[in-house]
Amino acid sequence: MKPFLRRLRAELFATPADALLSLGLIAVLSLAAFGFLRWAFTQAQWAVIRVNSTLFAVGRYPVEEQWRLWLLLWLLFAATGLSWGVLRSHPRRDRSGALWPRNDRIAAVLLVVLGLWRPWAMGLSLSIQARWWGLVALLLLVRWLAGRFGRRFGPLGLRLVALMWPVLYLVGMVLISGGLGLVAVSPSEWGGLMLTLLASSFAILLCFPIGVLLALGRRSDLPLLRWGSVLYIEFIRGAPLITLLFLGQNILGFLLPGGLAPDRVWRAAWVLTFFAAAYLAEAVRSGLAAVPRGQFEAARSLGLSYPQALGKVVLPQAMRVALPAMVGQFISLLQDTTLLSLIGLMELLGTARTVMANPAFLGKNAEVYLTLAVLFWCCCAALGLGSRALERRLDPHAVPSAT
Amino acid sequence: MSQASSELMIEARAVEKWYPNGFHALRGADLTVRRGEVVVIMGPSGSGKSTFIRTFNALEDFQKGRISVDGIELSNDLRNIDAVRREVGMVFQQFNLFPHLSVLENLTLAPVLVRRRPKAEVEQQALALLERVGIAEQADKFPGQLSGGQQQRVAIARALCMEPRILLFDEPTSALDPEMVREVLEVMQNLADDDITMVVVTHEVKFARHVAHRVVLMADGVVVEEAEPEVFFTNPSHQRTRRFLDQIL
Repeated sequence: MKPFLRRLRAELFATPADALLSLGLIAVLSLAAFGFLRWAFTQAQWAVIRVNSTLFAVGRYPVEEQWRLWLLLWLLFAATGLSWGVLRSHPRRDRSGALWPRNDRIAAVLLVVLGLWRPWAMGLSLSIQARWWGLVALLLLVRWLAGRFGRRFGPLGLRLVALMWPVLYLVGMVLISGGLGLVAVSPSEWGGLMLTLLASSFAILLCFPIGVLLALGRRSDLPLLRWGSVLYIEFIRGAPLITLLFLGQNILGFLLPGGLAPDRVWRAAWVLTFFAAAYLAEAVRSGLAAVPRGQFEAARSLGLSYPQALGKVVLPQAMRVALPAMVGQFISLLQDTTLLSLIGLMELLGTARTVMANPAFLGKNAEVYLTLAVLFWCCCAALGLGSRALERRLDPHAVPSAT
Repeated sequence: MSQASSELMIEARAVEKWYPNGFHALRGADLTVRRGEVVVIMGPSGSGKSTFIRTFNALEDFQKGRISVDGIELSNDLRNIDAVRREVGMVFQQFNLFPHLSVLENLTLAPVLVRRRPKAEVEQQALALLERVGIAEQADKFPGQLSGGQQQRVAIARALCMEPRILLFDEPTSALDPEMVREVLEVMQNLADDDITMVVVTHEVKFARHVAHRVVLMADGVVVEEAEPEVFFTNPSHQRTRRFLDQIL
């Protein structure tokens, strides 16, 4: 504590003028924090969130079919615990790998606290509270089991985990939209956080291959391919997303023969995808430019074909360079989904606006918007955390972490 | 020193190349390399020697003349290019190891992917090769953790792992700190003693003198002089060679 105090003095109270400025700033900041906390805990009426929690979570998804979403949630939590544990049990060969490093212990405690306290604080019914407790318990249990026994399956385990997520995504799609014996739930009934995550994950997953192809096209020796890619990228980047969204809603219906045009939700998701792909292509291009030409030549001189050299040598290195920029794209894509509310879709912001328009909750805008901000912040923080972990795992020059 | 056989491994005739910017890099270069032979190419910078050996595995194209490598005609036929690259290994000035793969994975990538050999078997061979170039204990490290000399030795082992019939070296010691040049040259000398066909672009006079069967001088995109090392360094027949030797010796 002593060095901390000394540093404080050196940085904040070195001269009388500094001290005055620091005191003034501290006063203003504490007043603001105090005011905010007083509002949040005494004046704010969180009933608007409590009553509408289902609406914020899944929109107007039919109640009798909501068990499918719960099932998906169970699967997601189990899959998360499994990936987490398996990754920890397979540290890279040049790293030291503790099974429960400090960050993981912190994350586990946070999860338990959030899982126990949040459902209770929101006043959810006991059966739903119990479900959340069960979910957290499942995640940690699977995490523990996978960490403990993951090594037995060798590298196969890692590959299975990588394969599990796309499969799970398809399963989730079926669970949400129905089909294969399940009652179909039309996309117009999807909403809330679920729709936000669905639209953004769809766009993130699909814009990736398209963006890589566009970036490769832009560097191609074939003029047609190169100019096509440039034209596409520059056109998309030159138009605001909201105009493209409106365009997508109006034009896709004319372009495609009757019945083939996808539902409004899917139209919007595709527009998001194509929009994000153009930006992603530029991030990937900068990554490709960072890989020395000699890497490609070395791969080719060893007899690798063009796709092999690209896939095994050039792209993995380019992705590592492009990753921070790409994740920046993904985060802004996630936030751009709020624009879907302007074309009448009930994602988070759209749901919030209908809630606020309800006379029963008049004047509760601050509570609603704050909740929205926290939800978005959580999603973006998760993306950022994941990407930093991935960066560390991909970086061959990183010093083994001490934790 | 071993004796070269009469089987032709590389035959280049009147090769001409223009770069897209119009620069006439090769102006009718000729070279024949026999099986088991070690040929050193020397010459001032800009003389086209790197360009020339890069045409042997089709990293550079050429517009006139003909090249055949191990009996395969290098033309615009892509299948031939792939076939040639499988038989010709190359070691670069800048090593060009794959930084995202471990040393062992650098060696095993191509044999597993291109030759479709079982991974376990290739790993055995790769470890033996690393032993041979003296860095078996580094197999699990990443290239960025090795010194320049070690990296270049890994690069040589990587090329050998494809069991090529010819090895090309493009200034393999030029990017190394002086104290690391020797360890790389020693590895190359061992290869030469094992009768591997090698074409080496280098400025290392000692290597050329003691290891090469023939030394070639290139200047302005053509082969000016071609002689045994003894003759090349003591009694060259061309004025251009003498001028070059005066500058480097």
